[in-house]
Amino acid sequence: MEISFLLNGERVTVADAAPTETLLDWLRERRGLKGTKEGCNEGDCGACTVMVTDATGRKALNACILFLPQLEGKAVRTVEGLSGPQGEVHPVQQALVDHHGSQCGFCTPGIAVSMAVAHADGDAATDDRLAGNLCRCTGYAPIIRAAEAAAQDPVPDWMNDRVDARGDHAPHRPGSADALAAAYLADPDAVLVAGATDVGLWVTKQLRQVDKVIFLDGCADLKNIEETGTDIRFGAMVDMNRVRAAIAPLYPSYAEMIRRYGSYQVRGAATIGGNIANGSPIGDNPPALIALGATLHLRKGDVRRSLPVQDFFIDYGKQDRAPGEFVEGVTIPKQAGPLKVYKLSKRFDQDISAVCGAFNILVEDGTVTAARIAFGGMAGTPKRATEAEAALIGAPWTEAGIAAAQAAMAEDFRPLSDMRASAAYRLGTAQAMLMRAWAEDTGLETNVLGIAS
Amino acid sequence: MPDTLDRTIRFGSNSGQPMTRRDGIAKVTGAATFTADNTPDNVLHAVYVPATIARGRVTSLDVAAAEAHPGVTHVLTPANRPHLHGDPEAKPTMFSFRIEVLQDDTVRYAGQPVAMVLGETLEAATEGARLLAPTYEMAPPRVDLDRAEPYDVEPGGFGRPTGASHGDIDAGHRAAVKSVDVTYSTAPQYHNAMETHAIVAAWDGDKLHLDVPTQALSMSCAAYASFFDIPVENVTINSPYLGGGFGSKAVPIGPNILAILAARMTGRPVKLMLTRQQMFGPTGHRGATRQRLRLGIDEDASLTVIDHDSLSETSSFDDFHEPAAGASQGLYAAGALRSVHRGARLDIGTPGAMRAPGEASGSAALECAMDEMAEAAGMDPLEFRLKNYAETEPGTGRPYSSKALRDCYLQGAERFGWAGRPLAPRQMRDENGLLTGWGMGTALFPCPMFMAEARATLRADGSALFETSAVDMGQGALTALAQIAADSLGLPVDNVEFRAGHSSLPDGGVAGGSGHTATAGGALHAAGSDVIRQLGEMAAADPASPLHGAGNASFVARHGRLYVDGDDSRSEPFADILSRAGGADLVGSGSASRPPETAAQYAMYSHGAVFAEVKVDPDLCQVQVTRLVGAFAAGRIINPKLADSQLLGGLIWGISFALHEEAHHDPVTGRIVNADFAGYHVPVNADVRGLEVLTVHEDDPHVNLLGIKGVGEIGIVGTVGAIGNAIWHATGHRIRRFPIRIEDLLKA
Repeated sequence: MEISFLLNGERVTVADAAPTETLLDWLRERRGLKGTKEGCNEGDCGACTVMVTDATGRKALNACILFLPQLEGKAVRTVEGLSGPQGEVHPVQQALVDHHGSQCGFCTPGIAVSMAVAHADGDAATDDRLAGNLCRCTGYAPIIRAAEAAAQDPVPDWMNDRVDARGDHAPHRPGSADALAAAYLADPDAVLVAGATDVGLWVTKQLRQVDKVIFLDGCADLKNIEETGTDIRFGAMVDMNRVRAAIAPLYPSYAEMIRRYGSYQVRGAATIGGNIANGSPIGDNPPALIALGATLHLRKGDVRRSLPVQDFFIDYGKQDRAPGEFVEGVTIPKQAGPLKVYKLSKRFDQDISAVCGAFNILVEDGTVTAARIAFGGMAGTPKRATEAEAALIGAPWTEAGIAAAQAAMAEDFRPLSDMRASAAYRLGTAQAMLMRAWAEDTGLETNVLGIAS
Repeated sequence: MPDTLDRTIRFGSNSGQPMTRRDGIAKVTGAATFTADNTPDNVLHAVYVPATIARGRVTSLDVAAAEAHPGVTHVLTPANRPHLHGDPEAKPTMFSFRIEVLQDDTVRYAGQPVAMVLGETLEAATEGARLLAPTYEMAPPRVDLDRAEPYDVEPGGFGRPTGASHGDIDAGHRAAVKSVDVTYSTAPQYHNAMETHAIVAAWDGDKLHLDVPTQALSMSCAAYASFFDIPVENVTINSPYLGGGFGSKAVPIGPNILAILAARMTGRPVKLMLTRQQMFGPTGHRGATRQRLRLGIDEDASLTVIDHDSLSETSSFDDFHEPAAGASQGLYAAGALRSVHRGARLDIGTPGAMRAPGEASGSAALECAMDEMAEAAGMDPLEFRLKNYAETEPGTGRPYSSKALRDCYLQGAERFGWAGRPLAPRQMRDENGLLTGWGMGTALFPCPMFMAEARATLRADGSALFETSAVDMGQGALTALAQIAADSLGLPVDNVEFRAGHSSLPDGGVAGGSGHTATAGGALHAAGSDVIRQLGEMAAADPASPLHGAGNASFVARHGRLYVDGDDSRSEPFADILSRAGGADLVGSGSASRPPETAAQYAMYSHGAVFAEVKVDPDLCQVQVTRLVGAFAAGRIINPKLADSQLLGGLIWGISFALHEEAHHDPVTGRIVNADFAGYHVPVNADVRGLEVLTVHEDDPHVNLLGIKGVGEIGIVGTVGAIGNAIWHATGHRIRRFPIRIEDLLKA
């Protein structure tokens, strides 16, 4: 397929792009731009970070799991393009040198790009913006100092790439939800690629041949966030950085969990629709969505239907989705209750959950009146703790009162033992999370991020 | 600052300055070229097939399917692999290991190469490798160190560590009024430099050109030459930048030899780049240990005995035993000491040196055991260590060449705010109710020197060129060594060109053992001094020079001029001296190594003290290291900016050792199941909070001419124990295995 985009300010057209050719391979092997490095080839390390600008703005993304067709009509800037046309170094590049932010130098190009994107955004949350860039020399402190030092420098004008409002659209790259519905109906065996944070690994790690692909990136109407007085509806293609920003004022605990579940680069590529549709038992959105009573919107051709998110997950690897049917969006009530989301992982940030729990428990006059509790990592699907909920409702909201609900979790779940956690640990953790929800609600600070460093 | 070194050694104008790294702009702009950035014309891409079982043999490979794939040009298997001159079981250099180069169909560990495919594109070779679809006859893998049969390690150099013993061990145990007997476990860890191993090999007749990252250029040349039966001078290695090494890039690995064989077989350049997953195979690792420590104290809380027994894993076919018990040998005064190394053979790749080999693992166990001993004594851990401070090297009685450890303890404790720490555990909570604990550990690392040579060229314009095949793997050799070089001529560093990273240069030695700056720096200094000596002879003999008649011995060089020592009125620019002599370049050479008599006379170590604060969620038992303060005494610091960075990096590696890094073997296949960055955790920025490093001033007139001890590894040492001890102090639980997991604390 033919792809056209801006590369470091110049228009390039790739006439013969394979659907799953990654930007990283193309840059290094076909274009000869070797500054962008391969450190892991699966989005874990950030050495391949590039800046991608489209009509909605700029992002830092991992080039190793970014397919060329996802770039249609966009602008890409690599480390080579951070410097100006006359070779002027970008302020973050100079700051990295001055503050000793580069040691062995292999992660440096990706770090420079991540920093430059944050710099252009005026985002001072440096720790978060660089959380997806590994440095094995572990020179993090000087890197952060460099970012802070460059913060006040003006953004070089070459960083503002001008892009087409929208790219060229072909059947495998529909430009709207309507076009997608028609294309998918015609070819229900095709793989839908949203952000490619998962499909990318099919290709780079599992070496799977993915022939028939439909890229959803051109569907601008799937990237909308619509708010009413009572609800907020996310199109399936809303990326997780945007979900986080929209959710933060409503459900801060959920938003904080989103910050932890992937790097800025991964969150910028990953979509809410993709995270639900791929049906992983340890996807981190479904527990929160289920606890909130969110509604999933599916579409096949012109036929639309909606169902509670919890009903979408039937069994491990099996979802309530017909051939040719796709996730169009999800609606979350704005005042569903006091949602608490807890993610337990071996590493605090950017790690796959051992257990992710979401608690939406209403208490009136010291008695639980309603409870929606859902977990990831406890079963073959994201799943509600119905027995625990039943035990809670009507019980006093006290340490003794929740004990029965904790015990009931053993009826709700028979978790697996695997590399991340044993079955007993998972169950114990789920029970402890309920304790924590209670403790937090009754005024104890339990958030580990309450620590002042 | 006081300086006890010979005043004729010219320091101060460059050394000691926090110079910015010279290769910085190249790295931040993407211009720095790493091995995998080379793709010569006509290149063939090589991809090897890693074994997916740990023990057995390959029963079939679908060679036809691979060969039929478009773009695949060759398939190498044990059946058709071209002859290799060198014996893969031989170890051509002192740091070499036995390698797997398709010598037969045996599988000795998961990740071992069992075939290699060459293709016109990387994709073709990758697909060809997949199509080979090996089948196996599988034997039950032995991957559990706790079920292995231990044996005593027979001392014999690298990988077969010698134990030590002094005093009467039994008497030491008997004399103890209190004692601890504890066993600590450490996990297998993999280096995982950000740059994976890679090689681009090209033959020109019987001359071999390699782009390959290596920490030891001349040693690597010798090793490669031996495998291919060519003179060492026929091997050229270009290694301008390493994307990290950490001990894994010192000697040839099997896949590299196969790539070179493939290049010779095809007559075309061959490029091989390991995937991240393959970095858990034939590239070495830090072997797991089980360390039993028995300590005893008398009424006075003086150690009567340190008895350290370390069991470490090695492969079924070669020896690298983590020299962990060595960590106990040089640190604390004790009436008696015994350190013993035992080994056990598993179906794993051969372990190797990984940043602070021996000391990192050994100190983790020793420092925790010391903490347990202090607890038993009812003493503050720092007070207990000071009580057992060694004024001379335990066992040998040799004086330390220098030892500012006491200053490290005191300055580190002061900066951390150690005073007032409650003795009992589980006494501190922060404002959010999190359990808070403080722990400490002592750091110790030896100061080896290797052998290096260098060349200095003073040019007619007064600028200089220095050359040695030193290696910058991130530590900053290109900068720190240039500072030393410039000082040897009394020139500003901007007037000095420095070439390194290529095997055609004088032998820069090994970037390892934290000894590179001392060794290569010593050679550069000697080369510069040789130039000054020659320049002095020329000037003294030249009637036209204001220095005429002054004895050569009494010259000093400063700011590009030669002075009569003690008489600043008599001096002359270098360029003038050279100009009258015809304007030719003046070339000097030098070398450095440690004289054996000095090595015998003094005990030489860097020291440090690390203080840690952790916070632990009382319900979920999640651990965060919220503060680390490390105070280190490591002789002369050539570049504080680079040195601090090395030390900070070491502290973070300590966090990683204590809380994150661990390879898990599947008990059925023996495969490592978390062989990627998603499953094998190294710290990200978000894991790291308040870190602080202090360097304590230390003059060392004995360790080497320049007084340099090295800072590359010591930052890890002591840190692991400090974190483990802080977790105990926060929770009251002694977790005796690293990494410390949430479930360990939950179960405790």
